Amino acid sequence: MFDAIVIGSGMSGSMAAKELCERGLKTLVIERGRKLEHGASYTDWMQPWDLPNAGMVAEEVLARDYKVQGKQYNMNTATQQYWVKDNEHPYTTPEDRPFAWIRGYHLGGRSIMWGRQSYRLSPMDFEANARDGHGSDWPIRYEDLASWYSHVEKFIGVSGSVEGLPQLPDGEFLPPFELNDGEKLFKAAVEAKFPGRKVIPGRVANLSKAQPHHEELGRNSCQVRNFCDRGCSYGAYHSALSSALPAAQRTGNLTIVTDAIVHSIIHDPATRRATGVRVIDSNTKVGRTYEAKVIFCCASTIGTAQILLNSRSEDMPKGLANSSDMVGRHLMDHLFSLSVAGILPKGPETYYHGRRPTGMYIPRYRNVGSTDEFLRGYGFQGAASRLGWRSAALGLPGIGADLKARTRKLGPWLVYISGFGEMLPNPENRVTLDPSETDQWGIPLVRIDCAHGENERKMTSQILEDAKAMIQAAGGMVVSAATGPAEPGLGIHEMGTACMGRDPGKSVLNAHNQAHDVANLFITDGAAMPSSGCQNPSLTYMALSARAADHAAKLLGEGKL
Amino acid sequence: MLVDPNLDRRAMLARTLAVLGATATSSLSFSALARTAKRARPYLEQSVFDLLSAVADTIVPQTDTPGAVAVGVPSLLDALLVNWASGERRYEITQALAVIDGKARSTKSRAFGQLPAEARHALLTEHDKLALKVVPTPPGRGGAVSLMAGPLYADPGYAKLKELIVVLYYMSEPALTQELTYEHAPGSWNPSVPVTSETRPAGGTLF
Repeated sequence: MFDAIVIGSGMSGSMAAKELCERGLKTLVIERGRKLEHGASYTDWMQPWDLPNAGMVAEEVLARDYKVQGKQYNMNTATQQYWVKDNEHPYTTPEDRPFAWIRGYHLGGRSIMWGRQSYRLSPMDFEANARDGHGSDWPIRYEDLASWYSHVEKFIGVSGSVEGLPQLPDGEFLPPFELNDGEKLFKAAVEAKFPGRKVIPGRVANLSKAQPHHEELGRNSCQVRNFCDRGCSYGAYHSALSSALPAAQRTGNLTIVTDAIVHSIIHDPATRRATGVRVIDSNTKVGRTYEAKVIFCCASTIGTAQILLNSRSEDMPKGLANSSDMVGRHLMDHLFSLSVAGILPKGPETYYHGRRPTGMYIPRYRNVGSTDEFLRGYGFQGAASRLGWRSAALGLPGIGADLKARTRKLGPWLVYISGFGEMLPNPENRVTLDPSETDQWGIPLVRIDCAHGENERKMTSQILEDAKAMIQAAGGMVVSAATGPAEPGLGIHEMGTACMGRDPGKSVLNAHNQAHDVANLFITDGAAMPSSGCQNPSLTYMALSARAADHAAKLLGEGKL
Repeated sequence: MLVDPNLDRRAMLARTLAVLGATATSSLSFSALARTAKRARPYLEQSVFDLLSAVADTIVPQTDTPGAVAVGVPSLLDALLVNWASGERRYEITQALAVIDGKARSTKSRAFGQLPAEARHALLTEHDKLALKVVPTPPGRGGAVSLMAGPLYADPGYAKLKELIVVLYYMSEPALTQELTYEHAPGSWNPSVPVTSETRPAGGTLF
């Protein structure tokens, strides 16, 4: 028997495992996907001319195997290995309510491919549900998590600038990747024209300057290649493979099994405790069980809901820890792909050197000290860059020596910003189990029913209007603008489905991510989020994971689990 | 749902240098093109491959740096037709080549590849201009993927053929080291670098 089982080895699971191992708990991490090796499994060594098919995934393979995964921005032959084949891992949605469930099944999960943007939620984010009545009130406030944000930021390494903004608390930062001159022009114009708005360097979990505790784990400073999505052999960005799992491994307390799909969590009605986990070997399809005193479920927002719902028993017929009927509900994703681009005809006559792994960020300013026509808010991610070779070569007709000559020249500055909007928690946006369809391992398929509502529609209009106005304020000529968000899921920030809350009748988890119904079950991935804020959420998952692991270890030490 | 399909087009209109500096081409002869025809697992018949080589050489000729043929674009594109393209795409590309050859035969009474370099350049310049006229964006096409995909053209087959030739060229090591700049590991970020007459755009990514 292990002290702890952690289901899932991604962003949350690897952090939970690290913290549990460092507190002396013999910990088993169960990963449904294959094993990846830090460094050896990566493709960051590939020169541009080494990329198979010039980076393009074969068209028929894309259409057959990656109908959903192929919709996300980062599918190419250098990253193809990290995305699941949709035809091997199906799920269902209502025909008129598509949801893109973007996944990577391998050791480290999506921590290998994440965008690494790392922002704290703010005091107003933790109060949002209580203030406007949507969703479950967070049972914690910012102050409860602040020190855990610091703990995680120091460990993973986050580059960023100190700004003193109440809506985007500062953290423990490594030096920022500074804005380039086009972005500085944009920043000056936006901040002058729109008081209250700020344009800051994107905060990113890349080691702008590795610290000794990073180097002890074999991590190095960022080489500014921006091949992060291929995996980084320098270990310059935080991932389970480069950072959290090695830290867990050096304690001697970690065991990892891969290719083991969790079927369900075993519950003993007599003790009202989880006693173990049933898994199915993904290759042989043979089942087995593992036992532990504490279980952390970090299988990702939708995966966690699937496991809980599939863990139903006579004693818990609606699923494990689901007496509230809240498991699967309140599914959220950020409004995504609300992008506007413009040319800056009077941009500075300078360039930049290196491919920095981030860009610029515009923190939320709506419903901050004022009231807008919609609830909650949004931020923007973006960048300014000189238009490159592709647009020079292909943007106009023309061939021959002329084409080559114009492609040698730097293009004008293009500024591009994309809104990330908060989606209200809505209990009707939910994950259930398909009543009849199962996957190849006999596990009921997930059915996802999720759509944007009226508040999201109002917010979308304002995002696009603001984006155009900011680009124009900088003297920009808008050349492209979205008119609506991408389908839910493509933000790859799915949250909800097992929310924290104060009321056991209306939530699944307490203030320490502990299931109300099952005291030794903890859930610290995106499922736990009662609301989403508009900030990229992984940093919060990691802070919640570390805090919950600390609490679980204390309870275990006190004999309370 | 992009409302303006002309991102690249407008960007280029802002570039005065884009229409300046025409120089004489030094394209390869037909026999030289034929000598480049070394393919491990060919898809195109030799005559079509020769036509592709002539088109690639005309779109990206040798100047003071290697052209498309010298860096092996025809063979790379032929490999793409085997390893990347769908059946529909293969048909689209071969048709685009056939249209070019057909124009040469109907207006010059010779195969495209057998025309002198200047005649090939003139014919393909005119074809390029007509084929790349932007057509209105249909409803429902949008999002970041469409932004990256660019506008819709009058002759999408030719547009794709040209795109593949250009992409394969500019992703090659000679182009990335002689036409553009590329460092696999820049090592540090410098947010502001003065532009000089020697400054070249950085390449190495698909966009």
